[in-house]
This record gives sequence, C-alpha cells and structure tokens, in this order.
Amino acid sequence: MTVMAHTQARSRHVTPVRLGRIVGKVAIYALLIFWAFVSLFPIYWTFSTSFKKAANVMKGHLIPWIDYVPDWLGWRSLGLSPDTLFNTSTVRDEFLNRFENSVIASLSASTLAVVIGACAAYGLSRFEYKFGPMKNKDISFFFLSQLILPPVVLAMPFLVLYKELAFLDTRIGLILLYTLMVLPIVIWIMRDQFDTIPIELEQAAMVDGCSVWGAFLRIVLPIALPGMVAAFILSVILCWNEYFFAALLTSTHAKTLPVMVASQTGSQGISWWSMAALSAAAILPLIVIGITLERYIVKGLTAGSVK
Amino acid sequence: MASVDLIDVRKAYGDHEVIHGVSMHIADGEFVALVGPSGCGKSTLLRMIAGLEPITAGEVHIDSRIVNDLEPKDRDIAMVFQNYALYPHKNVANNMGFALQLRGLPKAEVEGRVRRAAEILGLVPYLARYPRQLSGGQRQRVAMGRAIVRDPKVFLFDEPLSNLDAKLRVQMRGEIKELHQRLKTTTIYVTHDQVEAMTMADRIVVLHDGVVEQIGSPLELYDNPANLFVAGFIGSPAMNMVHGTIRGDGFVAEDGTPLPLGRAPAGSDGRQVIYGFRPEHLSLGGPVSTQITVIEPTGSETQVIAKLAGQKIVGVFRERISARPGETLSVGPNLASVHLFDAQSGHRLT
Repeated sequence: MTVMAHTQARSRHVTPVRLGRIVGKVAIYALLIFWAFVSLFPIYWTFSTSFKKAANVMKGHLIPWIDYVPDWLGWRSLGLSPDTLFNTSTVRDEFLNRFENSVIASLSASTLAVVIGACAAYGLSRFEYKFGPMKNKDISFFFLSQLILPPVVLAMPFLVLYKELAFLDTRIGLILLYTLMVLPIVIWIMRDQFDTIPIELEQAAMVDGCSVWGAFLRIVLPIALPGMVAAFILSVILCWNEYFFAALLTSTHAKTLPVMVASQTGSQGISWWSMAALSAAAILPLIVIGITLERYIVKGLTAGSVK
Repeated sequence: MASVDLIDVRKAYGDHEVIHGVSMHIADGEFVALVGPSGCGKSTLLRMIAGLEPITAGEVHIDSRIVNDLEPKDRDIAMVFQNYALYPHKNVANNMGFALQLRGLPKAEVEGRVRRAAEILGLVPYLARYPRQLSGGQRQRVAMGRAIVRDPKVFLFDEPLSNLDAKLRVQMRGEIKELHQRLKTTTIYVTHDQVEAMTMADRIVVLHDGVVEQIGSPLELYDNPANLFVAGFIGSPAMNMVHGTIRGDGFVAEDGTPLPLGRAPAGSDGRQVIYGFRPEHLSLGGPVSTQITVIEPTGSETQVIAKLAGQKIVGVFRERISARPGETLSVGPNLASVHLFDAQSGHRLT
C-alpha cells in the first residue's frame, strides 16, 4: 500500500519533467524535419522538373500523378529516355563526353589534392619549418590565403601559361588547375585532422619498429581517414561545380558538365525540362559519392587511444 | 636484456640547456626509477634513451653499443607512454602484435606470443576488443602487453600510472614490479611520485633542474639524503627542517630554541645550518616542547602537526595521543637520525 502510494506520488512528481522533455524532443524533430525539407526540396524540384512538360513547369505543379502526369520530355532531349536510348543521339554523345570529362577531372584532381595535401598537412602538423620569417602557422595561412584571390585575377595568366604549355582544352590541364584550386582547403582540413592525433601514437609506432613514413602510412593515415574522406568529398564537389576555368580553358575536348548546363539558356528562352534533366544527371554522381563515403566520416575514431 | 650507460648526456633547445650532463650506469636486469618534480628533465632523458629526442652531447649506450644515432626502432627498446598511446584502429591483439608483425614474424608465432603476454596480464578475454571499449586499467595493461611481447633489451616507462585512480595505481604498481621480477628485463621507470619510485625501484635517480641530485637504493636515499632537495623530496610526509646555527656541540634554532644534537661536525661552530629529522624519528617525552596545531589519528598511527621553534613540523607517532590542539607536547628527535645540511649549499654535513 505504501509502495503504491509512493509510486503514485513519484509519477505525479515526474510527469511535468517528462512532458517538458517530450515537448523539447518534438520541437527539435520538427525543426530538423523542416530543415531537411528546405535542404532536400531543390533536389526534389530538379528531379521532378525533369519529368514535366512546359505547362507543368509554368503552373508550378509539384506532385507527380496528382498535379501532373510525368513525361520523359527532358530526358528525351538528352537522348536518355527509354524510347531514345538506343537511337543515335548527338546530344547524348555530347552529354556523355562531358560527363566523363567532369568525372575524370574531379576524381583525379581530388585524389591528387588529397595525396599531396595530406603530405603537406602532416609536415605542417608535425615538423617545424622556417621559410624566411615564416613559420608553420604563417605557411598554413599562406596556403589558405590563396582562396582569397578571386579566380578571375588568374584568368589571363593561366590562359597564357596553358597556351604555352599546350594545356588548353586538355583534361590534364583541368586536373592540374583543379588540384591547385582545392589544395588549400584539403591542407587546412587535413592539418586540423592530424593535429587531433596524439604524437605519442607515432612515437609508439616508431618504438615498435616503424620508420617515419611507416608510422605515417600505417598509423596516422588510417586514423585520419574521416578527415581525408571529408576533404575528398568537398574537393569532388568543388571540382564538379567549377565553371569559370572550365569555360575559359576548354573548348571542345575537355568541356565539363557545368558549362553544358549553363549553356542551356539559349535565345529561345530556357528549356526547363532539359535543363532539369541535365542538372539531375549532374547531381547524381555527387549523391552517390556522398552516400558511399559518408560512413567513413565517423567521429571519435581516436577514442580510447590515449587518456 | 642489457645494461644502459649514460655518459655526460646533455640536452639543449637552442641555447637553453635543460639536461646538464647526466651520467649513470644501469646494470643488466636492474629496475631504476628516474624521479623528480615536473620539469626536471626526467621524461626528456627517457625519450633520449628511447631515441625520440635527439641527444645534444654525450653518449647513450645500450648493451655496450653507442645508440646516439640509431632510430628508435633499431634500439630494441619498448616504451610505455603516460597516455598509453594505443592504436585506436587496431584491436588489443593487433596493438600488442604490431611490433612483431613489423618484424615479419610468422602469424602463428605472433599469435602465440600475444596470447602468452595476454595471459600474464589477464587480457585474454579482451583480445578482440578495441581500445575505446576498455577501462583505464585495461588500456594500461595493453600498453604494457605491447611492450612485453617484444622481449626487448630495455623497458622504458614514462609515468605509466599517473592516469589511474589511486586504488588501481597501487594494484598496477605491484603488477609491474611482479612482472619485472618475472622477466628480469632492464627497466627505466620515470615518475614524479616518490612513493612509486621507493616501492618499485632497485635504485632511484633523483633529478632536479636537469641535474642528478643523488643515485642510490630507496633506503639509502631515505636514510642518507645527499642534500636538502633529496631530503625534502623523498619521504612522505616530508622531512622537517629547522633553520638555525651550530653553537659548540649543539644546535640553536633561529628563535633561540636549542635542539639536541649528538655531536656537531668538526669545525662547524657558528655555521648556518638546517636541522632535519623525519616525522617518524620524533619520540614522545623528549626535551623539546611543541605546540600542537592539528592532530590526525589514523588508527595505526597519529600524525601531529605542531609548531617547533616558530616553524611548522610534522610528527608521526605509533602511540595514541590524547592531547588537543593548542596544548603543549614534549618531543625529542632521535639523535641518530638527525641530518644537518649546510644552509648555503644545501649539502649534507653529517
């Protein structure tokens, strides 16, 4: 009897606290759902627009099979609809060529940047450098400060340089330029990542029988994987989206997707459906890369190593 | 197993010298503790022996071979770090077997040796776990396991117990000592905790500001400290020290209180000295009266903090004392255990 009374008293006492917690949770989830909607809507809109006709686009129809009947119009213009897939299509060839250029330029440049950037960042994180009056911190800032320069300043120099080197309209030219472009960010991210790894881990590895490189490759890099993946994803996105230099330095062979997307606004107005199909195709690889690599970005990988 | 010799080892960062010529011989199989307050250079010295810190001058020999220019991996040493430094992406078995894998030993042998070490340390149930899934004490054991699987010439411990709670520290202290008795590997153990050094080591090296103050067995340091620093550092509670002057064959404190002295060193009349005695070398009912400030009975003994000649002293007595704070307690230092130090140099006189 006393136990029951006690329990009742306790539950009466606890209820407002629990209620507060529930309300708090509901508020947080409501906010998160709202933000997820805001973030995902443009993607949904792009994908759905690629299946609309002109009238649906103009009237702002949003929900397929209720608002409008999906149609392959956009994809047909790219030669990628079921009925055109096996016919010859110059637009599709053009699209696939640019898609390939974009994939190769982005992935190669990002890989190169992560490899070079990781080495540079490791050096900045672990060794002391002096370059004239500049020390590690100044050198790091020097790298990052390269981002302050607007790309347009480099337009003329690069045009001249690439002309001399015969890099104009080549993939290798784009790859090198993109590597240079994303390197500062990669170095910055990786240096932060290496700074969080206790130096004792490498020292332990060296006592255990590793050389400096051995400790870097066998101990530091696996632990720094989350940072590397994050840097890689960011690099791929930046390279994938790059428009200015792609438009400037390429003409036929090495043109990338953003240039093609942007050129859809012709003199007859914008063909929303084909632009949407093109954009959707351009977004897709990023989504795939993001989803595949996201699981490597695990926080707290160093947990438990030191205390 | 091997001996370790340091010959006039120095370390400087730029113009700033932090280790001022340390020499010592550590015999094969010996357990030596480097002890001193933080910043005294003991960890730096250990890291120089390990090869993680370049040696500015002098020589380090391991097994009669100069290792100054050898990489850590070529010195055949194993080190346990203060923060354990376990590889977070490897499980316990791979953490312990990493060094053996690097040496290219066959998989079966690596597994066998890891298993034997795990048995010694009671880690067998945890071999598949990752460091983050272990408690502090278990991590500490893994760090030790990583050292012992290699069967190195020398073990180096850098304050391995300082991150554990008091109870676990005492337990691990016993385990490390037991391990040493079993493996008989030459061990250099850095700690700032003099109790750890006293209880574990065959010999203790007391370092202070990059200089060796004294080297000796724990009881040698306790009974015959070479100077004021060692006297004050070794022993807990610390040695009582009273400032004063030698007058004839006696000692007079600064406020004029005479304290008993067996015999003053020859020719020391009028010399400024420090009169030191350990808390447990006081006995009740002596010629000196003190005023009690605090009484702390612990059951087995009674600790008394009191004022003697205007200075605070601590006494530890076997007897139970019924006196209260503010009252007077008559005590007398055990004459055979009184230490005299020169007030200027801090060196021992008797």
